[in-house]
Amino acid sequence: MSTIRIRSPAAYWLAVPAALWMLCAVVVPALLILWVSFWGGRQFSAASPLVLDNYTRFFGNQTYMNLIVQTLIHTATLMAICGVLGYCIAYFLVVKVRNAKLRTALFLAFIIPFWTSALIRAIAWVPFLGTNGVINNALMGLGLIDRPVEVFLYSRTGISMAQVSLYTLMASGPVVYMLAQIPPALREAAMTLKAPPGVVFWRIIFPLTLPGVVIGQVLVFLNVMADFATVATIGGNKIALLANLILNFYEGAQIRAAAVVSVILMACMLIGVVAAMRVVDIRKLGA
Amino acid sequence: MPEAPVLAQLDLELRNLRKRFGSFVAVDGVSLQIAKGQFVCLLGPSGCGKTTTLRCIAGLEEPDDGDILIGGREVTRDAPWQRDIAMMFQDFALFPHMSVAKQVGFGLEMLKRPKAEVARRVAEVLKAFEITPFADRKPASLSGGQKQRVALARAMITEPRLLLLDEPIGALDYSLRETVMIELKALQRRTGISFIWVTHDQNEAFSLGDHVVVMNHAKIEQQGSPEDILQRPRTPFVAGFVQGNNVFRGTIAGMVRDQALVRTALGEFEVPLLGAVPTLGSAASFSVRAERLRPTPEAAWHNRMTLTCQTVEYFGSVRRYILARPDGEVIKLDQFGAEPAYLRVGEEAVLGWRTEDGMLHEGAPA
Repeated sequence: MSTIRIRSPAAYWLAVPAALWMLCAVVVPALLILWVSFWGGRQFSAASPLVLDNYTRFFGNQTYMNLIVQTLIHTATLMAICGVLGYCIAYFLVVKVRNAKLRTALFLAFIIPFWTSALIRAIAWVPFLGTNGVINNALMGLGLIDRPVEVFLYSRTGISMAQVSLYTLMASGPVVYMLAQIPPALREAAMTLKAPPGVVFWRIIFPLTLPGVVIGQVLVFLNVMADFATVATIGGNKIALLANLILNFYEGAQIRAAAVVSVILMACMLIGVVAAMRVVDIRKLGA
Repeated sequence: MPEAPVLAQLDLELRNLRKRFGSFVAVDGVSLQIAKGQFVCLLGPSGCGKTTTLRCIAGLEEPDDGDILIGGREVTRDAPWQRDIAMMFQDFALFPHMSVAKQVGFGLEMLKRPKAEVARRVAEVLKAFEITPFADRKPASLSGGQKQRVALARAMITEPRLLLLDEPIGALDYSLRETVMIELKALQRRTGISFIWVTHDQNEAFSLGDHVVVMNHAKIEQQGSPEDILQRPRTPFVAGFVQGNNVFRGTIAGMVRDQALVRTALGEFEVPLLGAVPTLGSAASFSVRAERLRPTPEAAWHNRMTLTCQTVEYFGSVRRYILARPDGEVIKLDQFGAEPAYLRVGEEAVLGWRTEDGMLHEGAPA
């Protein structure tokens, strides 16, 4: 068996198919969108002059500005909820569940729902959240509420509930991986050095899982920022975030405005990922 | 935490310690007393319960039964961080995200010592263990020997009453082990901290330990000074486990004054009773050390047998002859390496030993 050394010609040749694919499927379309976002004039063609008008119009509108802020706040909320919940689930599965069979069963119960598409899972939330939905009926049956809670469906709360269920696994998975890598002896060594369990967690376990936490946060961030389907399904026509705006403009044949929002969304995501990379060098993981 | 009255000046006392994992009994009635500042080695084959015993002392396992006293204070139900111990792990268990200085100071930080004091002590300890140049490095960039020093420095800095070491040099290169052993022995003498060293390597145990505890099947087989265990193995297991013993099994064929006559497949041999009173005809075993055997025994020696030399191993200081026994086992004969060789391979020889060199074992042999 031969090994392929890093930076050898063979390594570069092997990267060619993937690189070509990424170029055609990601880089070129993204550049096209960027190009379209600068198109000006009355005609909609490749001959359009390149201007900044589309951007000035967008940034001049206070409603759109608010929408960006709303989207970022919504995303940050979901990152916090999914992050804490995901960490707890990961910790429970890896550290607390000692029985190997039970752990596998729980892992599967956790993962199998993700074999269906995100859209289906989002739609599946509708019958749960409605005024005559499962949650309201359950709460009424238990006598906890007198009349149905209306904020579940077609509201930010409902969207958040659905998205937490959709994206917690993404926050959890990388933490599961990092937690499983920590030798039990590290925890024991800290305990024999007089560290009580809380200190062991914050000084040893948490720092060692930090890369997993950051990767999970990046995944939740990217998915929530880009998720228009859940927002449209659960939020109805009442709620829109940045990603829905792209769809609205597109459906209204305002391709240039759609391109502008797309570029802004991509810029937000890039900034987020670069910030995360400054905290943790993802490339060093698994080394 | 109110200090319990000091009952005795023992660093450690185990009273009838028991621990089982499911149906597997890991530690079965282990009792041990360790006086102040002792170097104690727990020796035994893997799975004999030595590591579980150590983990019970550390508080990492909770015993099902029995008491643990550290410095005279009952700690059986105390958590590890409440005990006056430190531990060194087999693969060192260094914290990968902390610099050497940070993790050496971790123990003092946990004791809530002032920052300035921690910094001063860390500097001292790093210097003492000759790891000052690596203060800012992370463990991943250290060699095995350096990691071992860091782990030791980290454990020693709080000056615990007991230092527990779980195969502490097992992960080191063979060439490094001897140096580290000498250093650790000197360190233990200097600090007066009791070391409890778990190993399966009898060279380590006998060269380091003031007190060696031989364990097998969750029980203590024999404990005592290295010389005691090497020269006077009390059970067939200890005699077989310790290198250089020839074990003979048979039945008691007679007793004359203070000697037993043991009938074996190789003949009848005289073994001193040393106070033992076995039943006539009962199963018995005894051992004779390889260096106590002599070719061409003196006429007065009763114990003798004729065997063929199979192999000769030369270790420099010792020449070891392996002689075939009619029952398929072998007899080992050691000779001082500088002397001219007693035997050649294939040569037949009469071997004998003085009656007082045989050690009768306790209990019926398996």
